[in-house]
Amino acid sequence: MSPTEPGRSGALAIDLTGITKRYGRATALDGLDLRVTPGEVHGFLGPNGAGKSTTMRILLGILRHDHGTARVLGGDPWKDAVALHRRLAYVPGDVELWPNLTGGESIDLFARLRGGVDTRKRDELCERFDLDPHKKGRTYSKGNRQKVALISALASDVELLLLDEPTAGLDPLMEAVFQECIREAKAQGRTVLLSSHILAQVEVLADRVSIIRKGRIVESGTLGELRHLSRTAVTAVTERPLGDLAAWDGVHNLRQEGERLRFDVDAAVLPRVMGELSGRGLRALTATPPTLEQLLLRHYGDDLQEARR
Amino acid sequence: MSAATRTLPSGRGSRLAGTGVLLRFMLRRDRVRLPAWVLGMTVMMAYFANAIGTLMDGENLAGLAGFAANPIMALIGGPGYGFDEITVPRFLAGMYGAYLMLGAAFMSFTTVSRHTRVEEQTGRAELVRANVTGRHAPLTAALILTVGMNLAMSLLMGLVLIGSAVDPAPEPAPSFLFALSIGAAGLVFAGVAAVTVQLSPFSRAASSMAGGVLGVAFVVRGLGDMSAVQGGNLDWLSWLSPLGWSQQTAPFTLDRWWPLLLSAGLAAGLMATGYALQARRDLGAGLLADRPGAAYAAAWLRGPVSLAFRLQRSALIGWSMAMLLAGATFGAFVQPMREGAEEMPEEIVALMGGADGIVEGYLGFMGLYFAMMVAAYAIISLQGLRSEEQGMRAEPVLATGVSRPAWLLSWTGVTAAGAVLLLGLAGIGEGLGAALSTGDWGLMAPTVLGHLAHAPAVWLLLGLAVFLYGAFPRLLGAVWAVFVYGVFMSLFGQMLDTPEAVLNTSPFQHIGQYPAEDLSWVAIGGFAGVFVLLSALGTAAFRRRDLSTA
Repeated sequence: MSPTEPGRSGALAIDLTGITKRYGRATALDGLDLRVTPGEVHGFLGPNGAGKSTTMRILLGILRHDHGTARVLGGDPWKDAVALHRRLAYVPGDVELWPNLTGGESIDLFARLRGGVDTRKRDELCERFDLDPHKKGRTYSKGNRQKVALISALASDVELLLLDEPTAGLDPLMEAVFQECIREAKAQGRTVLLSSHILAQVEVLADRVSIIRKGRIVESGTLGELRHLSRTAVTAVTERPLGDLAAWDGVHNLRQEGERLRFDVDAAVLPRVMGELSGRGLRALTATPPTLEQLLLRHYGDDLQEARR
Repeated sequence: MSAATRTLPSGRGSRLAGTGVLLRFMLRRDRVRLPAWVLGMTVMMAYFANAIGTLMDGENLAGLAGFAANPIMALIGGPGYGFDEITVPRFLAGMYGAYLMLGAAFMSFTTVSRHTRVEEQTGRAELVRANVTGRHAPLTAALILTVGMNLAMSLLMGLVLIGSAVDPAPEPAPSFLFALSIGAAGLVFAGVAAVTVQLSPFSRAASSMAGGVLGVAFVVRGLGDMSAVQGGNLDWLSWLSPLGWSQQTAPFTLDRWWPLLLSAGLAAGLMATGYALQARRDLGAGLLADRPGAAYAAAWLRGPVSLAFRLQRSALIGWSMAMLLAGATFGAFVQPMREGAEEMPEEIVALMGGADGIVEGYLGFMGLYFAMMVAAYAIISLQGLRSEEQGMRAEPVLATGVSRPAWLLSWTGVTAAGAVLLLGLAGIGEGLGAALSTGDWGLMAPTVLGHLAHAPAVWLLLGLAVFLYGAFPRLLGAVWAVFVYGVFMSLFGQMLDTPEAVLNTSPFQHIGQYPAEDLSWVAIGGFAGVFVLLSALGTAAFRRRDLSTA
């Protein structure tokens, strides 16, 4: 039984500490820590096989962790599974539907099993996601099956949404609808854990981001906090040639392309570099903040290099 | 552009392009499954031949043949050619041939479905067909594979027959005739599957249709054989069934080869139909189209019990109709059987409990027979739960407010109730058929009760399946071994002089074949209790384990 009255004390919506999960000899999660505060949209980033879905399933009590402590909405996800499931909705990465039930029937069923369906909202969502609820489950494409699970989750009155790569099969138009819906959910005070390897999506929606790699969280923070860890990509054209910028600490990958100079620069030395550039008669400048791709590349860069060898 | 197009090969040959590569690929995929089937069937044959050959002397055999010449044994065994001068090979062909044929048919239609419709349904066929692969190549390769399996099996079966410990040793020609008659049944059902996989986009539906055809073929020839041993005038029914043709070869007695031509002809015709249908449809599509359904779930669909019912409903409807029809058909044979009893020698009729005794014995036995079929339904239904889990459809349900015990026990409860419904319908059909054909409505109530009384035996197997599912999900298939063991013990154990203690290990042995025998209320209550206990243990284990996540 959950001793605390969850969610009322301003406690964390999700609190995982030192979670490990093994399948035989393979280690899926290796001391994972994840904290999500109520009301935030939390991006959960990592490449395939890093342990995102395993984490989701431990949060759902579908899998049991070997070590560590897990709290979801103040309860134990394994022991209090049923009580917790009435307060959360889950969209799996691979949605499978019953072949002989229509999409509409599946939407209603899932929502009712959670406690009830808001029919008006459900119909509105079907329209916004452009889903035909009359079709049988076996006739839907992957994207349409995902819409069924998404609509059912969004039409349920729950505190926490666990979304495992929910838009992997959606087209860009539908992804925009999805982003709107997540913003509305946030405005209603819901907590969202959004796993993805589509970085742009998380970048647009997430308040905070945790990056998982090989079963461990390697970075966690707001996008701003993570950005300072990364490099800004600079392209500049100056009237007078620059000195030996390449030799500076914190300047990387310097190359001259015609009159254009490209390099990456660490945040710490960015002011000094800017001073040097303006001193040489700066004519054109673009500075691109690091994308999450670059953040990830920094974490997985060693793997990429290993792979290249 | 057009010049390039013209150089492309076209016509019949290109539709078969890649068949050889696909065949080798199928052999690679089936490197365990194929030998398991072919050798498994051969071992069955070797076991029967050697067991009967070792156990039975002439006197035993003659007694056995007398027992086997009754209508019930004809129904479940065959026409019993040469039983008046019984030998071990004749007994083998007459009594066990039908079951080896069922096995070969099952092997064949599952193999064809596995390499054609399953591949399309999963989308793997699309990857294959995008390469240099003709439209008909997968079906052709699958059929070559299946025909090859049947031929290999027939060859091996013939060899083990000749080499078995039967004295005198079976002649080679009739041995191979018997083996080929089993392979011929397999061939026909490869053809049946070549058609059914074209009809529905789903492999399960294709296999169910082929299984339905097999069931009808078995029953039709059973009714014909039953009439034949009684000297009735419905023996032509046996000739309507491909299983009947295989049995009419009468190996070791008449040694007729020509019925095999009927089987080969039908198999070829069915395969040709399969190709013709395949040429008319798109990849992945069926010939039976999907209609749009309801946009909203019905108000009653709102909990784990109603979900389990909704998912089992179509299977239950199909089985209900099959049970009612089969019951009525079997029941309608009570009258011819009564008339037949009047023409049988008096002492034999007396031995079987008089004319009324024969009818009661038949009705009581049919209750047991239907209990076996319904047990198969219950096991298949629980295996459906495993597919729900592995097909990732259990996960989203268990991620809602449905607890694991509620999910598992709802499904189990619906299946257990479905089993009672099916037994009741079979009993009602049987009673109706019997009452209508004889005009004796007094047969109705005891028949229905006799069928319903077997429900706890079905539950026992269901409970075992629930336990395995919860505790050792990978071993769920083992429940089939218990089922087959029980069926064989109850159908043939007595005939083979199996000791009482061993017979009693069959779950079908204890409740009693009412109205011929008394019902054992101890067994009924005990089995129901064990079912509850096994379900509880299975549920407790299911709460502790991880869900399968592909």
